[in-house]
Amino acid sequence: MPIVRLSHVRKVYDTKVAVEDLSFTIEPGTMFGLLGPNGSGKTSSIRMMIGMTMPDSGAVSLFDQPFTRTALWRVGYLPEERGLYKKMNVLDQLIFLGRLRGLSAAEADKRSRLWCERLQIAEAIPKKTEDLSKGMQQKIQFIASILHNPELIIMDEPFSGLDPVNAALLMDTLVELRNEGRSILFSTHRMDQVEKLCDHIALIHRGNLVLSGSMQQVKSSYPRNRVTIQYHGDNAFLNHPAIQSLKRYPGRAEIVLRPSPTLQDDAQALLACAIQRASITRFEVTEPTLEDIFIEKVRETSPADIGRPLTMAQLDEPKGAGHDSE
Amino acid sequence: MIVSRVWLIARREYVERIRTRGFLITTIMIPVIMAGFTFGSVFLGSRVNTDQHIAVVSTDTQLILDLQTELNRRQNQQRQQDAAEVPSTPQPGTQPGTPPASPLQPHSNLLVEAIAPGPDTRADLDRQLDANELDGYLWITPAPTPDARPTFEFTPRSSREASIRNPLAAALGAVLMREQLNHRGIVAAEADSVLLPVQIVTAHRPHHQDRESAQISVLVLFFIMYLVIMLYGMNVARSIIEEKTSRIFEVLLATVRPEALMAGKILGVGAVGLTQVGIWLGALLTVALSAAALHTGGSVHLALTLGQVVFFLVYFVLGYLFYSAIAAALGAMTNSEQELQQLNMFLMLPLLVCFSMLGTLLNAPDGSLARILALIPPFTPLLMYMRISLGHPAAWEVALSLALLSASILAIIWVTSRIYRVGVLMYGKRPNLPELLRWLRYS
Repeated sequence: MPIVRLSHVRKVYDTKVAVEDLSFTIEPGTMFGLLGPNGSGKTSSIRMMIGMTMPDSGAVSLFDQPFTRTALWRVGYLPEERGLYKKMNVLDQLIFLGRLRGLSAAEADKRSRLWCERLQIAEAIPKKTEDLSKGMQQKIQFIASILHNPELIIMDEPFSGLDPVNAALLMDTLVELRNEGRSILFSTHRMDQVEKLCDHIALIHRGNLVLSGSMQQVKSSYPRNRVTIQYHGDNAFLNHPAIQSLKRYPGRAEIVLRPSPTLQDDAQALLACAIQRASITRFEVTEPTLEDIFIEKVRETSPADIGRPLTMAQLDEPKGAGHDSE
Repeated sequence: MIVSRVWLIARREYVERIRTRGFLITTIMIPVIMAGFTFGSVFLGSRVNTDQHIAVVSTDTQLILDLQTELNRRQNQQRQQDAAEVPSTPQPGTQPGTPPASPLQPHSNLLVEAIAPGPDTRADLDRQLDANELDGYLWITPAPTPDARPTFEFTPRSSREASIRNPLAAALGAVLMREQLNHRGIVAAEADSVLLPVQIVTAHRPHHQDRESAQISVLVLFFIMYLVIMLYGMNVARSIIEEKTSRIFEVLLATVRPEALMAGKILGVGAVGLTQVGIWLGALLTVALSAAALHTGGSVHLALTLGQVVFFLVYFVLGYLFYSAIAAALGAMTNSEQELQQLNMFLMLPLLVCFSMLGTLLNAPDGSLARILALIPPFTPLLMYMRISLGHPAAWEVALSLALLSASILAIIWVTSRIYRVGVLMYGKRPNLPELLRWLRYS
C-alpha cells in the first residue's frame, strides 16, 4: 500500500507548465528524495500532495485513498518558505500549531518540550520567536511539523540555510523517524544530501520526471566508470587512452573512463601507469554521482542542451516574475 | 471539528492582540484624548459666552435707565423659564434624550453703560472697540419733533457681535411702547402686564420623545460603527497581510480550511475591537450614570428600551462582522499596507453613502427608499436599526434583513478564502479583476 501516489499529474499556471505527467509512489517506511534544480516543479508537486493546489489533470492519493483534507491530519508539512508568528512566544506557538492538528493543550505542551530538548533548543522555549536565530526558527518549524506524530512527513528543502552541524542533526532525526516506520518525502536541489539519506529518489527537470527508482537501482544501472586520483609529481598519466574526459585540480583529477566491457581492468591499468611517475595518495573507482547522472539524464531528454557543458547551476532557472511555479 | 479550529484561530488572534502594549495604550489614551477635547471645547465655549459690554450714547438718561431695566427684566424671565422647564419634562419611565440646554449654556448678560454724547465720544468709542474693551455701542439721536421716534444706530465690534442687535431692538421697542403708554395715562403696573412677553414652554409628547432618543441612538450607532470600523476594520486586513509576509499561512493552510482561517481571524480580531469599545462604553456609562446620579439625586432612567438595546447589539455586531469580512477580502487581495491604504475607501464608502442619506431617511423611516435600502446588506446594520427605532418595519422585513446580512457575511468569507488561498500562492503583482474571477474558479 503506497503512502503517496501521484498518477499522471499535470499543473499549469497561466501559460507556464509547472508539472507535466508526473507519476511516482512512496512506499511506507521509506525516505523519498524529490530532486531537481530550482524552478523544476518540486514545490508545485508537494503543494498538490497536501491539497494546497489541485492538479489540472491526473490524481493524487494519500494513504491509498483519493485525496481528502481529513488525510492531512496524518501528514506533517514543512514548507520551503519558513513562517512563524514573529511576536509569539515559542511554546505558545508550538502548542497552537499542535492543537490545530488535533492535540490537546497538555499533550502539545509535553511534546513541544521533549522535541525542543531533542533538537537542543530547550533554551528557546520561553523566548519570543523573533528573538531567535534563523536556524533556531527553522528547528522550531521542523518541530511544529512533526509534533502530531504524522505517518507521512513532507519537507520542502528542510536543510537549506542550516549550518552543517544543525543540518546533520536534522538528517539524523529524519533517519530516526524513518526507522520508527514513518514515510518521509523531502525535496532538495543538493544531490550530495540525497545520496546519503534516501531509499528512493525521483529526479524532475522542468516539470518532467527524468528518473525515479530506489537508490540502489539507480546507482547500479550505471557502470563504475568514475575515477578520482590524488597524487604528487608528474601528471603525464592523465594522457592514458582509457580516459574519456577529466577535470584537473591541483594534485587531484576527476576522470571519466571510456565506455568499455573491461572497465575494471582499464582502471587498474590507469593506476599502474600513474604509479610509475607519481606518488598516489588516493585512488577511488565509483559509480557516477547523482549529480552526474542527473546532468546526463537531462541531456538525454532535452536535446537543446546537448553539446554544451551542463552544471547544476546552469540548470537553475530564474523563477517566473509573477508566479512561484516550483 | 471546523468550529474548534475557528475557535483556536480566533483565540490566538485575540490573546496575542490583547497582550500587546499597543492595546493597553490605545485603551487608555483614546478616552483621555477624547475627554481632553471635550473638556477643552467646553472650557473654551464657556469663555466665549461671557458678559457683553455695550455703550449707549444718548442725551436722554431716562431712556438709557429704562433700557437697562428692560434688559434685566428680560434676562431674569429667560432664566426663570429655563429653570421651570427642567422639572416639567420627565414623564414616568421615560426621559428626554437631550439634557436641558440651559445649565450647560450660560446666557450672556448684556451690560449697558450710559454715556452722554460729547464732541469726540464717537472716536473714543471706536478706539474702545478696537481695544476690545467694548462689544458695541448704540447711538441714539433724539427725534427732531416730539411725536417722531429717535433714530438708533448700532455699531458692533465685529460681525460676531451683530447678534446683540435683536435683543436690543426688542428691549428698545418695549421701552418705547411703555413710554407711549405712560404718555397716554396708563399706569406702570398695567403697562407691565400689557407688555409681558409671551412665554412658550416646550412640551413633549411621549411618542415624540421616544423618537428623539431613537434618532440619537441611531446616530450613536452610526458613530460607534464608523469609529470601530475605522479603528479595527483594517486590522483584519493587516493581520492577513502579516501572515502572507511571514509565510505562516502555508503551514496553516496545510491543516485548516481557508474558510475556517478567515472566519477565525474575523472573529478574533473583531473580538479585540469589541472588547476595547466595551471597556470604553462601560467606563463612559459608569461616569455618566454616576454624574447623573449626583445631579438628580439617584433617579436615573435609561432612554433606551431593552428591545432597542438588543437590536442595537445584534445589528452592531453583524455590521461589524460584515465590514470586517470586506476588510479581510481587501487584505487577501493585497500584498502590503500601502496597497491596502488605496483600497480603504471600499470600506468607508457604503458607510458614507448611508450617512449622507440618513437625513432623508430619518424623516421617512417607512418610505419605500428606506424599505429597499434597509434590505441591502452594507446598509442593513444602520438603516434597519433606524427603521426599528423610528418606523414600523414588518417582522418579515427584520427577519429578511438579518438573513441577508448573515448570508452575505458567509458569502464574503467564502469568496475571500478562495482569493486568499490562491492569492497567497501567487507572488508579486496585485491581481486584476479577470484574474480574481479566475481565482474564484480554482479550488
